[in-house]
Amino acid sequence: MILTSLQPGWQMVRAHKRMLAVFYLANLFFGLLLIWPLRAMLKNFIGDSMMGGKLGGALDMDFLFEFIKHNEQAGSVFFGLVLIVPAVAWLFTLFLSGGALAVFAQDEKYTPARFWGGAAQYFGRFCRLVLWSLPVLVLLFCLQYFESGAQRLFFGKDPYENISYWGGWIKAGLRALSFLLFGMIFDYARIHAVINDENKMRASLGAAIKFVSQNFLATFGLAFLLFAVGALALVIYNPLADSLAAPSGLVILLLFLLQQFYMLFRATLRLTLYASQLHLYRGLESTPAAITLTAEVDMHGLTPATE
Amino acid sequence: MKESGGVSRGNKIDKEGWGFIEVNKITSAAGEDWTGQMEFIHPDDDNAEDKTVFRLPLAKPLAHNDSIIVNFDFTAKLPQPPFARTGAKAEYFFVGQWFPKIGVYIDQQWNCHQFHANSEFFADYGVYNVRMTVPEKNILGATGLLVEKKTNGDDTATHFYHAEDVHDFAWTTSPEFVEFTGRAQDVEIRVLMQPDRAYQGLRHLEAAKTAVEYFQNWYGDYPFPNLTVVDPRRGAGGAGGMEYPTLITAGSTYGLPEGLRAVELVIIHEFGHNYWYHLLASNEFEESWMDEGINTYTEIQIMSDKYGPVGDALDLFGIKLNTLQQHRGSYLFNADYDPTVRRTWEYYSGGSWGANSYSRPGVLLTTLQNYLGKETMQKIMRAYVERWRFKHPKTRDFIEVANDVSGQNLNWFFEQALFSNATLDYSVDRVFTREAKKGEGYDFKFSVATPDSAMSNGKNEPADESTADSVASKSQPKLYESGVHIRRLGAFKFPVEVVAEFANGEKVREQWDGQELWKKFNYIKPTKLVSASIDPEHKIALDMNYTNNSKAIEAASLGVNKLTARLLFWMQFLLDQPEFMSLFTAFIPSF
Repeated sequence: MILTSLQPGWQMVRAHKRMLAVFYLANLFFGLLLIWPLRAMLKNFIGDSMMGGKLGGALDMDFLFEFIKHNEQAGSVFFGLVLIVPAVAWLFTLFLSGGALAVFAQDEKYTPARFWGGAAQYFGRFCRLVLWSLPVLVLLFCLQYFESGAQRLFFGKDPYENISYWGGWIKAGLRALSFLLFGMIFDYARIHAVINDENKMRASLGAAIKFVSQNFLATFGLAFLLFAVGALALVIYNPLADSLAAPSGLVILLLFLLQQFYMLFRATLRLTLYASQLHLYRGLESTPAAITLTAEVDMHGLTPATE
Repeated sequence: MKESGGVSRGNKIDKEGWGFIEVNKITSAAGEDWTGQMEFIHPDDDNAEDKTVFRLPLAKPLAHNDSIIVNFDFTAKLPQPPFARTGAKAEYFFVGQWFPKIGVYIDQQWNCHQFHANSEFFADYGVYNVRMTVPEKNILGATGLLVEKKTNGDDTATHFYHAEDVHDFAWTTSPEFVEFTGRAQDVEIRVLMQPDRAYQGLRHLEAAKTAVEYFQNWYGDYPFPNLTVVDPRRGAGGAGGMEYPTLITAGSTYGLPEGLRAVELVIIHEFGHNYWYHLLASNEFEESWMDEGINTYTEIQIMSDKYGPVGDALDLFGIKLNTLQQHRGSYLFNADYDPTVRRTWEYYSGGSWGANSYSRPGVLLTTLQNYLGKETMQKIMRAYVERWRFKHPKTRDFIEVANDVSGQNLNWFFEQALFSNATLDYSVDRVFTREAKKGEGYDFKFSVATPDSAMSNGKNEPADESTADSVASKSQPKLYESGVHIRRLGAFKFPVEVVAEFANGEKVREQWDGQELWKKFNYIKPTKLVSASIDPEHKIALDMNYTNNSKAIEAASLGVNKLTARLLFWMQFLLDQPEFMSLFTAFIPSF
């Protein structure tokens, strides 16, 4: 079921490259919005100093401390930006997801009108969905405390450090799992809202929770598969990026291109997830086949009625 | 407690677990009860409720070289869990600051301060004979040497320890210690590890060996035959990272990576205190830099030599941090609140106390070492140890040793570094290079300036007599007039080296005494100036800003672009997180 949803999902994303570009460019835009003031601070601080060239190599921790020290006020402004911009970016991505789901649900060619219209149509609903799903998020987040409870039950209030250390890793895993589960439920709630043109987000949320619980293996399997692909990509990306450390303009350009290729890949994963989930949802929630009744009638001794 | 607000060294007091020392009775050798003569005093402030110092007036003064026996019957209750360097948790006991300690009679008076939040101690040398009775199964470590362990037949055992020429005594006991032993040169080392961190035992032992070897080789003989290193129990960190004669506490955590050298740092630092605090028993109340600061300096040198030069403190996930960088960072953020030498409870804040006790002295002594040379500095430190071992040196005594051994008057340095809050910051304010123009004037002929003849170091030397026309032939190379303008931005004056680099690879090194507010260097050369830098090797660790120490004619933006690209990626990655998947939470264990 997972692969049969993944394949058409991937095909759909390939067919809507412009939508992919929108998601990628949105991410790039907000990243630049965050980084540009920081770059300005860096340039202002470094000026014509030879540090400008030295930073092309390894990061100098002396420089880092000096930069923070001599830019304390600007730093606090930047910190404010770091809180606001991600929130706005997340809202915008939520907005875009309505457009993507609308295009995928209609299974028609991408047009700006279709995409942006869908985004606008569903944004309000999705915002309400966020509010309704907060208790679900809190509940799922508490999954990690099962570890705390188990630890206390088996090892008491004062366990050896190795217990709490490994327990901490288990807790982190449970936390990641809870985010994954929440993400899944949130996705299917949105899909439900789009496919059924549902206005009541509480109903969509309920339907999503029901759908996920009834089809846990398929839904979790699909989400986890794409999560694993993303994680694998990061594992491949990191050493490649680290190898691009030579202080040369060409190498820095290559590094930038590699980074952006990776982010484009992540945008592809996101859209593939939406499209595949939609296919999975449709596949598992389709109406039952029409029932055909057959019967044998003994016609012996009976004359068919004639006009 | 008033000063600390109930928080000491990062630990909060447990209101159910107060500790105290109560003197129950004081008697003379003849049995006279002197308890009623005990009088609490508060020599440092107006806090009449402070009962950490008491005086006991004698019936008649004690003559020079005379002695007296005074018996103190006291009760010590340990904080639970450990707080402010002492305490107990479950089966683990660390017993420090547990007995009434006699102050120091020095400079014709008693020097005895109250117990402050951001301070340590000052006591005098003596001989300690201590018998500690603990459960028989317990392992015990203490200051000094074990003389005898006697089983009492009631599931307890009494450990008798003897220590000479020490000015404090601490001990620890737990049935769960896992013991590791080793030897470094002539010193027997004993490491008492917690069972859940026993796998780090050899790491602790190696760090202790490193400490003993470096200190003995560089600074002089460690006068005791043994050293005990204690790994504090989980939840008992309040007694960690502390020093006592022949016994130190470290501090670690399960899973600590090898690249994070916290174990090595703390052991080298705490062992160092057996020199700077114990052997050289300076007054930790009044001149905390003399133990913590000098110790930070020696810690920086040893860590760099043993694990450096890059990333000696941290070398993990591509992040490299030196101990010197770590302390310089700390100093930068608290550089000018106070002078280094100050009574510890009078610093502006805990941050200022920390920076001025530890980081700033560590950085300034490293600067001094780079100025004098490593060999001279080591001679100074060895001489300091030799001349003042088992005594109570003061700041002026250290300065005197430094002046004497170096053969220079370094008062100009120490006055600024220790007794003022002056900060050091030299910057290259301006660099320029342009085609040299022939001078013009009415009814006067100037020669074309010749290279390197006229304007070096700002001195104008007489121009050559030959005429411009005759000199300015087509075969003459094009000349460039270049300038390097240096400014002293901080109040701290220090001699600096300036290096001017030219397009043909030539480097001109200039020395400037750093006294005035600015200095201009000018050059006439057949090559353009490319860049100028002050102290290019970063020998002046006290400099607040290395970034403004250099300037290039053409700004290089390579580093900024690379850093921007890296940061952009991480911003994009994190922006992608909330909705898609919180991958990064999987890598952050929580406890």
